[in-house]
Amino acid sequence: MGEQRKKLSTTKNNPRSTIPSRVPSVASLMSQWISMGGEVIRRNLLKGGPIIALLFLIIYLAFASPYFFNLSNFLNITRQSSINAILAIGQTMVIVGAGIDLSVGAVLALSASMAAVAVSYWGLNLAVGILLGLGTGALTGFITGVIITKGRIPDFVATLAMMTTARGLALILTQGLPVPSHFTALKLVGYLPAGLIWLGSGNVLGVPVPALITVAITILGWMVMTRTTLGRAIYAVGGNREAARISGISYVRTKIITYTIMGVLAGVAGIVLTGRLNSANALMGDGAELQSIAAVVIGGTNLFGGEGGVVGSLIGAFIMGILGNGLNLLNVSAFWQRVILGLIIIGVVIFDQWRRRRFAV
Amino acid sequence: MPREPILRLEAIDKKFPGVHALDHVDFDLYKGETHVLLGENGAGKSTLVKILSGSLPKDSGRIILRGKQVEITSPYHARSLGIGMVYQELSLIPSLSVAENIFLGRLPRRRFFFVDWPGIYKKAQQILKRLNLNIDPTVLVRYLGLAEQQLVEIAKVLSLNEQILLFDEPTSALSEEERQQLFNLVNELHERGISIIYISHHLSEVPLVGQRVTVLRDGKKIATLPVKEADEDTIIKMMVGRELKEQFPKEETSPGKPILKVQGLEIKGSLHNVDLTLHEGEIVGIFGLLGAGCTTLVRALFGLEKIDSGKIYINGRSVTISSPEDAIGLGLGYLTKDRKDGLIHPMSIMSNITLASLKKISQLGLLKHREERRVGEKYIDELRIQPPDLTRKLMYLSGGNQQKVALSKWLCGGSKILIFNEPTRGIDVGTKAEIFQLFNQLAKQGVGILMISSELPEILAMADRIFAMRRGAVIAEYRRGETTQEKLLKSVS
Repeated sequence: MGEQRKKLSTTKNNPRSTIPSRVPSVASLMSQWISMGGEVIRRNLLKGGPIIALLFLIIYLAFASPYFFNLSNFLNITRQSSINAILAIGQTMVIVGAGIDLSVGAVLALSASMAAVAVSYWGLNLAVGILLGLGTGALTGFITGVIITKGRIPDFVATLAMMTTARGLALILTQGLPVPSHFTALKLVGYLPAGLIWLGSGNVLGVPVPALITVAITILGWMVMTRTTLGRAIYAVGGNREAARISGISYVRTKIITYTIMGVLAGVAGIVLTGRLNSANALMGDGAELQSIAAVVIGGTNLFGGEGGVVGSLIGAFIMGILGNGLNLLNVSAFWQRVILGLIIIGVVIFDQWRRRRFAV
Repeated sequence: MPREPILRLEAIDKKFPGVHALDHVDFDLYKGETHVLLGENGAGKSTLVKILSGSLPKDSGRIILRGKQVEITSPYHARSLGIGMVYQELSLIPSLSVAENIFLGRLPRRRFFFVDWPGIYKKAQQILKRLNLNIDPTVLVRYLGLAEQQLVEIAKVLSLNEQILLFDEPTSALSEEERQQLFNLVNELHERGISIIYISHHLSEVPLVGQRVTVLRDGKKIATLPVKEADEDTIIKMMVGRELKEQFPKEETSPGKPILKVQGLEIKGSLHNVDLTLHEGEIVGIFGLLGAGCTTLVRALFGLEKIDSGKIYINGRSVTISSPEDAIGLGLGYLTKDRKDGLIHPMSIMSNITLASLKKISQLGLLKHREERRVGEKYIDELRIQPPDLTRKLMYLSGGNQQKVALSKWLCGGSKILIFNEPTRGIDVGTKAEIFQLFNQLAKQGVGILMISSELPEILAMADRIFAMRRGAVIAEYRRGETTQEKLLKSVS
């Protein structure tokens, strides 16, 4: 493109030139842009099994139900999918590093409970409360990482244990009651502050706040995975742990940082969910870990590590959200919705594997 | 020898995305013949043989076995047709024992479905004994060294009583002694009337095992010759398509000051009191049989093995190396013996090359993509890596090209001390010479190179000094020209 601009200026400055045959016409510029854009689209479609699935889904539902294809419905879907998406971004990083985090739902509840308790019962201000919540998530993630690396325990086992532990701690913290609650024995300072509610239920210029948070986190996650040495280390450790070690990459440091980030993101998701529900309780996010893993898998990330990306997981979470919403609009029973989700997971992954083999991308 | 070939391949064609691996190749094999298949990396040898063994489907062409046309649909099918294969990348299961691997898929049974466990170990022991292999059949394969694993792989195939055997680079991980063992085995099989297709990079092996030679290049068959007409120069010219001036281009250098000094290195059970010095611009070779401790020594220098006692000095300063991170920080680089340990298959060529030098292409943790691409392209060019596509995932490259990427990784790190463990394993003649040229360049820049090699001509030609090891100790040190292949081999046996 710069090249074209150069040519334009030289012909302009050269009074002796007649009709410059090299000046690109608007038409040729446009066609160049279209072919460049086409190349980007083609490459993404080749890599983007999930995007294709998403498009098909949207097209189908747009015709199947008159209530589907409108702005307010879509904005609703983004709000509903945000929790899963935020968790899926973190889960992607863990899975690419050849790990898995089953404690995600429990940590979500624990962080949310901590934030809510801090604000409602201890009377701390909102910012401090949120920091405590995120800090709790980070700490649990950190501990998980240490257990896995120093204790040499498989990720599955360690996070399974952390799942029940964190749930237990959340129950202790909230005494088993939603926060805030009139029945608690602790001093009740007030309801949850408006700021916290806004994080889950509010809008900015019509766009749900959770959606904005999700987009921000996706961008950050994408940057970390593709543009930083940490991201490269995660892919390396997930692709071949021994080779990563020989290349001087620290398995311990990479793992611990990854799980800590996951913990923080679980905290973010927890706070957003609290905002949506107007309260926090110890049983929030039940099953969230499996939902996040499903989003990651649908998004095309290899469950064994070494390959994949956050953008795919975002699409995966979005597909799940659209599916739930669309099936609701079509009056499909909630039970059948689960069956359909399962079939979709299998279908997308089969398609993705086939595409990988066929095009060696 | 009967004139009708037991196996005939006609116009076999196979394409992979971006690569025309086999271009209408014709090939035949007579009964009882040992037919050697030669070619550069990526010439199509492994692909051809994998099609025969049922691992890969062909795109087109005919396979005529014992006069009848067949379609080989799976390795199981190939076995039932009497075709067995020893793979270059081993097909053993590390978590199972040697005996279980030998009888993989056909465990001897007692009654109904119950496995005859005592029988298995006894039968396995018999097979191993018959092949003169001193390996315990109950040991899990993952605890064996690479060479032993290769021998077990061979035992596994030999026990199958196949009539056609395919060997894909069977000697690449073996020592001289073991190679001789293998040749004896192959000759014995030949005498038993078994037909063999033998792929190798070692041109010197050809007259020892084969009757005919076929050369492939870029997926096409160049020629088939009887072994008498196939002298090294002719073969090399056919493989490479051009004159190869010197196989081992060594340039004399004057070594500078000592950059690495090892004193009294001791690891209980593996290394005894090892002393070694490496100077700037020097190439030091390390030679020894399996178990002599060459790899252990070198791994200890790179922080992969715990040292019991002894000192390591780098540029005169005493250092402790407890991890590869330490070693890399001190300016060391290590090309592993088994390239699987040093490369990440799902990552791109570019990412693999820069993996050990992330600090160099990043600032405050952020990667500089332009810089990274520049580095990647530089090495794709210099080492002629195929296909020359930075974004291609490593798993789609041929073995030899993967080795080149592994080399690039350490070259781009700017290490001052490079340790190469079998650097030319699986690399063809043409590229070997280029790699040695690279070694010369590095030496001229003052880099010190430690090279473990089991190829005598290579180590004798390229090393300024050679350390011979046996049973964990350095038993001799030779300067260039002070020793011969026979003397060196004898000193380590």
